[in-house]
Amino acid sequence: MTTQPILLAEKLEKVFPGVRALGGVNLTMAPGSVHALLGENGAGKSTMIKIITGVYRPDGGSLTLNGVERHFKSPHDAVIAGIGVVHQERNVVPEFSVAENMLLHQLPAKAGLVDREAMREQARRALDMIGLDVDLDEPVKGLSVAQTQLVEIAKALTTTDSKVLLLDEPTSALTLAETDRLLDVMRKLRDNGTSLLLVSHKLEEVFAIADTVTVLRDGESVLEAAPLGRFTTGEIVDLMVGRSHKASDFPARSVDRAQAPVLELDALSTGFGHRDVSLDVRRGEIVGLYGLVGAGRTELAKAVLGLDRIVGGGIRVAGKDVKIDNVGTALGRHHIGYVPENRKTEGLFLDQPLTMNIAVTVWARIRNFFGYVAKRRERDIAEHYVDRLGIKAAPRQFAGQLSGGNQQKVSLAKWLAADCEILIIDEPTVGIDVRTKAAFHELIWDLAADGMAILLITSDLPEMVTLADRIVVMRDSRVMGTVENSHHYGETSKAVIGLVHQTV
Amino acid sequence: MSAVDVKPPAAKTRAGTGGRRRFHPSAGSAQRWSLLVVIIGLVVLFGSLQSAFYNEKLIVFPLLREIAVFTVVGLAQLAVLSIGHMNLAVGRMAAFSAMFMGMAYELWHMPLYVGLLIGLVAGASIGGFTGWIIAATGVNSFVVTLAMDFALLGLVSLVYSEFTAAAAFTAKPAGMDEMRNLSLADLCAGDVCGSPAVPQMLVFTLIAMALVGYLYSRTRIGRELLLVGSNITAAELSGVPTVRRVVGAHAMSGALAALAGFMLAVTAGSFTAGIGGEFMIPSFLGPVLGGTLLTGGVVSIVGTLLGTSLVQVIRQGLTTLGIGLENLNIYLGVILLLALSTDRIRSVVAERKGVKP
Amino acid sequence: MTGKDLMSRLRANRGSEPTLLVVGIVGYLALVLKSNGDLLEGNSIKGILIYLTVPILIGLAQLVVLAVGQMNLSVGALGGFLSVWIAALIVDSGLPPLLAAGIGIAGGALVGVVNGVLVVVTRINGFIVTLATMTILIGLQYRVAGTRTITLSDGWFTDFGSADVLNIPLIFIAALVVAAVLAFFLRRAVPGRRLLASGGNPLAARLSGISNDRSLILAHGLSGLIIGVAAVLTVMSAPGVNKSIGGDWLLPSFAAPIIGGAALAGGAVSVLGTILAAFIVRLVDVARAQYSLDPSLVNFTIGAVVLGTVVLGTIRENRAARAPKDPPKDTAKEAAPLAGSPS
Repeated sequence: MTTQPILLAEKLEKVFPGVRALGGVNLTMAPGSVHALLGENGAGKSTMIKIITGVYRPDGGSLTLNGVERHFKSPHDAVIAGIGVVHQERNVVPEFSVAENMLLHQLPAKAGLVDREAMREQARRALDMIGLDVDLDEPVKGLSVAQTQLVEIAKALTTTDSKVLLLDEPTSALTLAETDRLLDVMRKLRDNGTSLLLVSHKLEEVFAIADTVTVLRDGESVLEAAPLGRFTTGEIVDLMVGRSHKASDFPARSVDRAQAPVLELDALSTGFGHRDVSLDVRRGEIVGLYGLVGAGRTELAKAVLGLDRIVGGGIRVAGKDVKIDNVGTALGRHHIGYVPENRKTEGLFLDQPLTMNIAVTVWARIRNFFGYVAKRRERDIAEHYVDRLGIKAAPRQFAGQLSGGNQQKVSLAKWLAADCEILIIDEPTVGIDVRTKAAFHELIWDLAADGMAILLITSDLPEMVTLADRIVVMRDSRVMGTVENSHHYGETSKAVIGLVHQTV
Repeated sequence: MSAVDVKPPAAKTRAGTGGRRRFHPSAGSAQRWSLLVVIIGLVVLFGSLQSAFYNEKLIVFPLLREIAVFTVVGLAQLAVLSIGHMNLAVGRMAAFSAMFMGMAYELWHMPLYVGLLIGLVAGASIGGFTGWIIAATGVNSFVVTLAMDFALLGLVSLVYSEFTAAAAFTAKPAGMDEMRNLSLADLCAGDVCGSPAVPQMLVFTLIAMALVGYLYSRTRIGRELLLVGSNITAAELSGVPTVRRVVGAHAMSGALAALAGFMLAVTAGSFTAGIGGEFMIPSFLGPVLGGTLLTGGVVSIVGTLLGTSLVQVIRQGLTTLGIGLENLNIYLGVILLLALSTDRIRSVVAERKGVKP
Repeated sequence: MTGKDLMSRLRANRGSEPTLLVVGIVGYLALVLKSNGDLLEGNSIKGILIYLTVPILIGLAQLVVLAVGQMNLSVGALGGFLSVWIAALIVDSGLPPLLAAGIGIAGGALVGVVNGVLVVVTRINGFIVTLATMTILIGLQYRVAGTRTITLSDGWFTDFGSADVLNIPLIFIAALVVAAVLAFFLRRAVPGRRLLASGGNPLAARLSGISNDRSLILAHGLSGLIIGVAAVLTVMSAPGVNKSIGGDWLLPSFAAPIIGGAALAGGAVSVLGTILAAFIVRLVDVARAQYSLDPSLVNFTIGAVVLGTVVLGTIRENRAARAPKDPPKDTAKEAAPLAGSPS
C-alpha cells in the first residue's frame, strides 16, 4: 500500500519495574481497513492498547496519527485527537440519555446550557452511520449490553474527525447474533473510510472481518501489518504462541484413572445459564477448563462454591451428593478451595498482614471453645507457607506491598493451609512475569503429584498444555468436549481450538 | 483485560479514603504514641496555666468519668467501623436500651445488674436487627442507621411520655448512687487507699476494652470482622460467613451503646429519652483520632481510649481556662481536621517511599 | 455490597415521584376531611407552607452533594451559623439587610467550596471533613449568638418573611424558585450535567474529559449556597434566631432526598421527589397536630417509612430476580453460526 498510514506506531517501548512489556513494537494501520491486533495474554497487547489510548506514555518510540506525531497525556487527549475507543467494559452514565452519553465528552452548548437539538442531531448522525435505531432520549440503562456497545461505537464516531476506532474484545459479552450485527457495523464503517483496530481473542471473528494483522509475542511484533488472507488459523496460532513452547520437563506424574473421581459435576445447570455441564476430577489429576473470555468458566467455579443457584443436575464430592450453600461449607465440609482470578479484588486483603491473609481459612479449625486463636500457632502456619511457597516477604508485611507473583502465592497459600483436597485455580499467572510463572507451574504440578485434585481455569493455552492431564473445553456456558493432553503443543492446541470454534 | 486502568476518583471510593491504607506495620502504634505525648503535653500545659486543672475531686474525677463513658461510645462505633460500616443511631440505641433499663428499675423493680443485662440484650437486639436489615437488603449502613435513628428517636420519646410523668425513669436501684460517686479512694487495702480522682465506673470501660480488644486481637470472629472490613468479596470467597459477621458487628455496637447509655444514666441519676443525644460526633472522633479506619479493616482499642481522652482533655482544659463552649467546638473541629490531614500526609509520604499500593 | 449493587438497589426506588404525589394528595385530603375543611383555610395553608420552606431547601442542599456520592453533615451547623451571623450583621453591625443576606449566601457558598476542596485535596472521607466543619461551625454559631436570641426590628426584611400571595408565603415561593433553578441547572446546564455524570459513573465521566474533582467542589459549593438561602429565609421569617437554630436540620436533610428517591451512591437525583417527600414529612407533622399526638411520632414515622422503603425495595427486586428468565447465552445457540468461519 502506498497511501500514508492513518496510525503508525514505531518502535514502541514500555518498561515496568523488572519487566519489559514492549520492546520495539511497530503497528501500521491503513485508512479504511480493519486491522487485527493479536497476541496471547502477556504478549504486550494491553500495554499497547493503553499507549495508543493515552493511558500509558511510552518509554521509547513514536506514535503518529495521520502524519502528525502525538503525545497523549490522558485518555481524553487520545479521544479528542481522533482515536475512538470502545473498551471491553461499558463506560456510560446509566441515567443519561443515549444522545447525552454519546456527546458527554463535548456537550454542545449555547450560553452554558446544553443545546439539546444540536446534541440530538449529532447523535442521530452518528447512529445513522452504524444503522442503529434506538430512541435518542431513552436512558442508556434501558438498553441491552449489545445496544449499549453500539452506542459507544457511535459515540466514538461523534468526535468530528474520528479516524481510528479501537475495539477491545468487543464481542466478549455478545451473543452470536449480536456479534454478527457488530461485524456488519464494522464492515460498514470500514467501507465509509474509518480505520478499525480490532483486539480480540476470537480468531473466527478476526478472520471474518480483518484485512491486515499484527501479532505480538513476548513484547515484540512477530508479524507486522500483514494481509490476513495469506494465513490460516493454524499459522496465526503458531505465530501467537511461538514454536519455542515445548512440553515441560516436569517429572512424570501419572493419574490412576480407575479410581473414583473426588469432584463430579453431573449435568449441572445454574442460575447464570450453564446447561448440562458434566465433568470430573480425580485425586492427583489436573483437569483444565479452557474457553474464551465469557465462556462461563469462572461462573461455573463460583456455582460449585455455592455462590450461584443450581437449577439442575448435581455436584458429587467423593462419590456423595452434596449441597453447597457457601464457601464456608465448600471449605469446611468438602475441602474445596478456590483461587480467584482477580487476586486484588477477590483473593487478597491488601491492607492486612500476610498472617491474616493466609490464616483466614484455618481459624475455624485452630480456635478453641472460646473462639481463641493462638497468635503463635497462626504465625507458625503463615511462616510455614511463606517458606514453602518461597514468598519473598515477612509474615507481618501487608499483602498490598508484595509483587504480583508473591501476591498470587499468598492467594494460593491460604487454600494449602486449609488442607484442601480439591482446588479450583482460576487464571493463576495473569500479569505475572515469566520466571515466576514457571515456578508457579511447578508448584501446581507438585500439588497434583501430592494427590490434590485440581481444576485449572486458564486462557493461556501453553500453560494449559504444560499442566493439564485433560482439557475440558467450554463455550457459551456449555461443555463442547474434552481433549486428552498429549503435552505436544501443536497437537493439543489444534484439538482444543478446534473444539472452541466447532460449529454447533 | 481492560484497556483503561484509571484510578476511581474520590467521590466513588466507598469512603473516599482509598489512599489511606496503612501499609506500614508500625504506623498505627506511632500514631498512638504521638497521641499520648500530645495528651500529656496538654495536661501539663493546662495544669501550668490553671493549677485547678489538677483538682482531683472537681476536675479529674468528672473528666475521667466522661472519658470512661465516651470511650465506650467510641468502641460502639469502632465495632461497625471495623467492617467498614457506620452507626449513626449509636446514641439512639443507647437511649433505647437505657429505656429498658429504666423500665426494669421503675416498673419491674429489678436489681441494678439485672437491669443492666436487660439493657445490654435490648441494645444487642436492636443493633443486630439493624445489621440484619443492612446485610439482607445490601443498602448502605448510613441510610439504614440514619432511618433507625429517626425511628428510635420517636419510639423512645413515645414510650417515655406513655410511662413517665416527667419524661424520666428516676427509680434508683440499690448501688446506683455508689456507682456514680465511688472512686478508688473508697477501695482500701489496709491503710492504703486509692486516688479519689479515679472513678470506679472506669471498671466498665476497662472490661469493655478488654473484651473488645480480646475479640479483635485473639479470636476468629474478631479477625473475620476485620477481613470483612478489608475486602468483603475476598472474605466471602475465603469462607467467612459475611452476613453473620455484619449482624454480629452491629449487635456488638448496640450492646456497647447500651453500656454507654447505662453509664451516662448512672452519672446523671436518671434514665431519660435524651440519653445518647450527644453521642454521635464523639463516637467518630475517638476511634478515628485513635487510628481506626473508616474504610474498615483496621481498629485500635487503645487508640479509641486515647482519642477520646484527647477530646475530653481539650474540652475540660478549655473549660477550666474559662474558654467558653463557643470556642471549644471550633478548636475541636480544627484539631480533628489537622490530625486527619497529617495522618494523610504521613501515609502519602510512606507510599512515596517505594511502598506499592 | 459494592457501590454498584447499592446503586442498582436504590435505583429500584426511582420513578417514585408519582407515588409520592399520590401519597401527598391523599394524605392532605384525608387531613382536610378530618379537620372538617379547616385545612383549606388560608391561614392553615400558610402555616403548612411556611414550615415547609426550610425542609425543602436543606433537602436540596443535601441532594446536590448526594448527586456526586458525597454527604454534607454540616448542613444544620452551617444554616444555624449563617442565620445568626446574618441577623447579627443587621442588628449589631447595622448593615442593610440586603447586603447582610448577600454576605450570608456568599459565605455559605464559600464554606461549601472549602468543604469540597478539603475533600479533594486531602482525600479524607467527606463524611469526616463535614463532621469537622460542622463542629467548627457550631462553635462559630455559639460565638456569634451567645445565649441571646437576636430579633430583627420590623422592616421590609421581616415583612417579606411574613408576606404572602393568595395565602402562599413569599418565602415558600422563594424556596420553590431555588428548587426550580437547581432542577434546571442539573437538567440543562453543562456544569450540572457534568456534575451528575461524575456521580453516575466517575470512570465514564473521566474518560469523557470531565474533572470529577471539579464536580465535587461544585456540588459542595452549591450545597453551601442553598443553605445560605435557607438561612436568609429563616432570618426573615423566624421571630428570632439563637444558638439552637439548625440543630435539628441534619436528619430531615437526608430524609427528604432519600424518600424522594436519590441514590446515596450518586448519579440519581430528583428535585421534585425531594420537595414531595418534604411535603409528606410536613403532613405527618400536621396530622400529629390534628390528632394531638406526641411530636415524637413524626420522627418514628419518618424512620419507619425510610426503613420500609428500603426493605420493600429489596423484596420487590428479589422477586423480580427470582422470576425465571432465560439465560442470555441460550439464544446464542439457536443463532446461525458466524459467517466466514476459520479456514
